[in-house]
Amino acid sequence: MQLREFFVPSAIKLDLAAETKDEALKELVSCMGLDGKSEGILYKMLKRRENLGSTGIGRGIAIPHCRSLVVTRLRVAFGRKLSGLDFKAIDEKPVRYVFLIVAPPLEVSNQYLPVLGRIAQFGKEADVPDLLAEISSPEQFIELLDAKDL
Amino acid sequence: MDQQLELLLEIQDLRMQRRGLTDGTLTDLEAEVFDIKIEDAIRSLDEKVEELAQRLTRGIRERYRRIADKAPRVVAPVINGICYGCFVAVSTARASEADRNLRVESCEYCGCFLYHVG
Ligand SMILES: [Zn+2]
Repeated sequence: MQLREFFVPSAIKLDLAAETKDEALKELVSCMGLDGKSEGILYKMLKRRENLGSTGIGRGIAIPHCRSLVVTRLRVAFGRKLSGLDFKAIDEKPVRYVFLIVAPPLEVSNQYLPVLGRIAQFGKEADVPDLLAEISSPEQFIELLDAKDL
Repeated sequence: MDQQLELLLEIQDLRMQRRGLTDGTLTDLEAEVFDIKIEDAIRSLDEKVEELAQRLTRGIRERYRRIADKAPRVVAPVINGICYGCFVAVSTARASEADRNLRVESCEYCGCFLYHVG
């Protein structure tokens, strides 16, 4: 399994319009091609997960995630906000890179956990924040995943 | 979408989240990567589920409790006419109704509340 298989260019936003954490979650949820009602339910679930503790893991990276009945397969999205978002991250620093992961409650191939784990691993690599700052197209984002062999 | 069904969906999603913390699948990752206090998170999820359950109408709440006591899944997705609670086809007449998700339905085979996806 490679992370790149899950990312589609339409769900890679290198210049989020969002100014807040909530707006960023909404903006990324809107990349998933769901109907309005499903988007609302998904957003609510992601917020509920954030209420248990921020998914901002430090060094400018956040990985909001949840399972929900409103999706039928695992979906991911990436958003970048170079000016930073207040995500109440573990290190209290602004978040510039947001990886969103949502999965249905049942998955035949059980990809949710490995994908979440790999993205967390990617986010912990020392040079990743700087590399994410430099990319200028969704294709370069995919190339970065390839280069990291994830 | 029926508001009671929406509440049931939220309850189901929160129950799944709780399950991931208690069955070991997400526990380590949530604790180590995201620094979640697992016991606090479980308590918080239980409170939220109960708060939502209190907003169900009495009849639906009683049905919900009966299912929830026995199985982790209270709402099953219906995908392409199949109930994913029991993998039996729900009758086409019901599955193709234009008002899908506009009222609370249950699977006649496994008893789960049904949510038509996609
Ligand atoms: Zn069923």
